[in-house]
Amino acid sequence: MDDLRLIERAVDMNETKISANGVQVYYGDNHAIKDVNVEIADKTVTAFIGPSGCGKSTFLRCLNRMNDTISVARVEGDIRIDGEDIYDKRVDPVQLRAKVGMVFQKPNPFPKSIYDNVAYGPKIHGLARNKAELDEIVERALRRAALWNEAKDRLQEPGTGLSGGQQQRLCIARAVATEPEVLLMDEPCSALDPIATAQVEELIDELRQSYSVVIVTHSMQQAARVSQMTAFFHLGNLVEYDETGTIFTNPSDPRTESYISGRIG
Amino acid sequence: MALSWLFGLLVLIAVAGFFAGRSKSVASAGGDARGLHSRPNYYGWHVALNALVPALLLLVLWLLIQPFVLNRAVMPMLSSVDVNDRGTMSLVLSDVRRVAEGIDIAITEGAISPDEARDIQADVMDVRARLAEVGVALGSDVSIETLSAAQRYRALAYTGTSVMTILVLIVSLVGGVIAYRLVRPDFRSRNVVEFGVRMLLLSAASIAILTTVGIVLSLVFNTVEFFRLYPATDFFFGLNWAPSFSGRGGASELGILPLLWGTLYISVVALAVAVPIGLFSAIYLSEYATKRVRSIVKPMIEVLAGIPTIVYGLFALLTVGPVLVSAFGEGGVLGVSWMGGGTAVMTAGLVMGIMLIPFVSSLSDDIINAVPQSMRDGSLGLGATRSETVRQVVLPAALPGIVGAILLAASRAIGETMIVVLGAGAAARLSMNPFDAMTTITAKIVSQLTGDADFSSPEALVAFSLGMTLFVITLGLNVFALWIVRRYREQYE
Ligand SMILES: Nc1ncnc2c1ncn2[C@@H]1O[C@H](COP(=O)(O)OP(=O)(O)OP(=O)(O)O)[C@@H](O)[C@H]1O
Ligand SMILES: [Mg+2]
Repeated sequence: MDDLRLIERAVDMNETKISANGVQVYYGDNHAIKDVNVEIADKTVTAFIGPSGCGKSTFLRCLNRMNDTISVARVEGDIRIDGEDIYDKRVDPVQLRAKVGMVFQKPNPFPKSIYDNVAYGPKIHGLARNKAELDEIVERALRRAALWNEAKDRLQEPGTGLSGGQQQRLCIARAVATEPEVLLMDEPCSALDPIATAQVEELIDELRQSYSVVIVTHSMQQAARVSQMTAFFHLGNLVEYDETGTIFTNPSDPRTESYISGRIG
Repeated sequence: MALSWLFGLLVLIAVAGFFAGRSKSVASAGGDARGLHSRPNYYGWHVALNALVPALLLLVLWLLIQPFVLNRAVMPMLSSVDVNDRGTMSLVLSDVRRVAEGIDIAITEGAISPDEARDIQADVMDVRARLAEVGVALGSDVSIETLSAAQRYRALAYTGTSVMTILVLIVSLVGGVIAYRLVRPDFRSRNVVEFGVRMLLLSAASIAILTTVGIVLSLVFNTVEFFRLYPATDFFFGLNWAPSFSGRGGASELGILPLLWGTLYISVVALAVAVPIGLFSAIYLSEYATKRVRSIVKPMIEVLAGIPTIVYGLFALLTVGPVLVSAFGEGGVLGVSWMGGGTAVMTAGLVMGIMLIPFVSSLSDDIINAVPQSMRDGSLGLGATRSETVRQVVLPAALPGIVGAILLAASRAIGETMIVVLGAGAAARLSMNPFDAMTTITAKIVSQLTGDADFSSPEALVAFSLGMTLFVITLGLNVFALWIVRRYREQYE
């Protein structure tokens, strides 16, 4: 793989942002996540890879308690962000989600204008003192998501009228506008062309300066390009978790090796 | 021949045609059905449909037109009735028809022989008594003129029906034979049957439309008739509703405004009760309630929709009215004495609101549930609370549907009668006080048409103009609802 030049990139050993211990997730009787332990570092991009249906999205949704909204889902184990147990009774999931933003696998713009879609989070959390500030936040978020040029003349048009890839970027802009500390991105580039993908990857790299980013991807190249750490999931197990360079060049588990080289998946 | 016999024969011809067509098709392809353009059954259907449909159409048309022709034919015989007096004429004509039918029934029951029937003489025999014996009650004694008209009617009807039977059978046979002769391996019977199915569906749809058109036309004619007798400006702008009944004499005042006011006032009160309660319970059920709670509460709310409105009316009369009086009436708990009696706008409005709750809640609940979960996830994922999500994402997305639900409830409220009769009283009044008795358009339509209504007097005809006005209002509401729904569609999809 050509992109593996990034292996050389130094992985700064940042302090742990998220630590998960013995996480189990059940959908009714379906045991979707089996005893996963993982430490996600601050100011780092962590990639989750693995075959379809192995539980990447499920695990990602544990990190901001989105699984609470699924009545059949049951989460066990211990997940801490900045040392605080997020499943503790005293934790308010609403505040947690403001801190841990999420871009969903399927683009889900609100039936509102493009502007209102992006301004939604900032308005709820009172991030802007006046209209001018809000305009600024919206513009910045759209620029970061590489949507500004296409959207600047149609801010008042409905977000649902955008193309699939534009909607995906709108959802990224919406998540970024709330200024979360952790950003969870579930296949954010699945509907994007190479140019937009490159722009989003640039954004991810930029976000890394201040945030911790977790990205689910089916593209090995993308994982190799943007992430410092990679976790490989298989059938609900976390098979291997290591520096991206190590995973791609020298995996210790045969399953990882065969997945990356395209033999299972 | 009785109609059922004719119908049975037609079906028989069609069934025979089906099998004939099918076997001919197979035979024409040399016994191998694969050589045919369509499956053999389609050839059968093709023949059967051609034998049945044109004949049935002719039958229906004939049955619709025959009475008119017969009426016209006997009308000149009724010289004692003024041809221009349509009301009396139609009464006498219906008498003629009843006598004719009565004689027919008497013959089939064996009470009189056909020969006897032919030379009944009104002055010799008491026709009314003889017909009463076989269960045909007549309003008055049969005059010579009516009897002879009835005899003529019978004779003509007999000829007409015979001709019709023969013609229908001929059409059926000719249709079947022509279709049968068309059967050849390359004949596209499948497409013919497809066309037939399309026409069947189309005619079902047009029956619904035609009925509506018929209802509207009958309203329009009678409304026009009414405006000939009573000035339209007085009707639309009159502030008084005081019909005088034929016995009492004197001119009536038939202004719609007090009734319209009552209708709108009661509907507004009802919606003010039903919309918040219904909408909030829908939101609770779809967004907050657990599955268990939902499975119990939703059917319980829907039970409200199954209660007959007369029961709601009794509830208004016996429970809500007295309770309101004890609070707002003279010497009531609040000491305000706004309320004179139990029947009032408030009484009817509250009870009607309760009746409408399931309409609003059930429809809104379905609509809210149809908003995709991913919308909620998007909002919750940005750190919004549930109520913020409901208010800012779910409700706007569901708004067109909810508006539809509310407007539906509104047209129910406007059209409701029973609760008004029992809960709001019968006094047409223009008043701002919601504790006054008032009445609505529907309630007055009922009271104008019950009893001995003379359908040529403005007091009775006004019911049709009231109905027409009501129809226009609900139509307007529906158009408005459609407009709103479409507007939001354009914006959101
Ligand atoms: N809402 C749900 N209810 C029940 N089961 C679910 C639900 N969501 C996911 N699952 C199950 O959990 C398992 C893991 O699903 P998940 O969506 O996490 O896979 P994934 O790794 O994200 O796959 P993909 O790459 O296709 O997105 C699957 O077996 C799936 O059927
Ligand atoms: Mg997934």
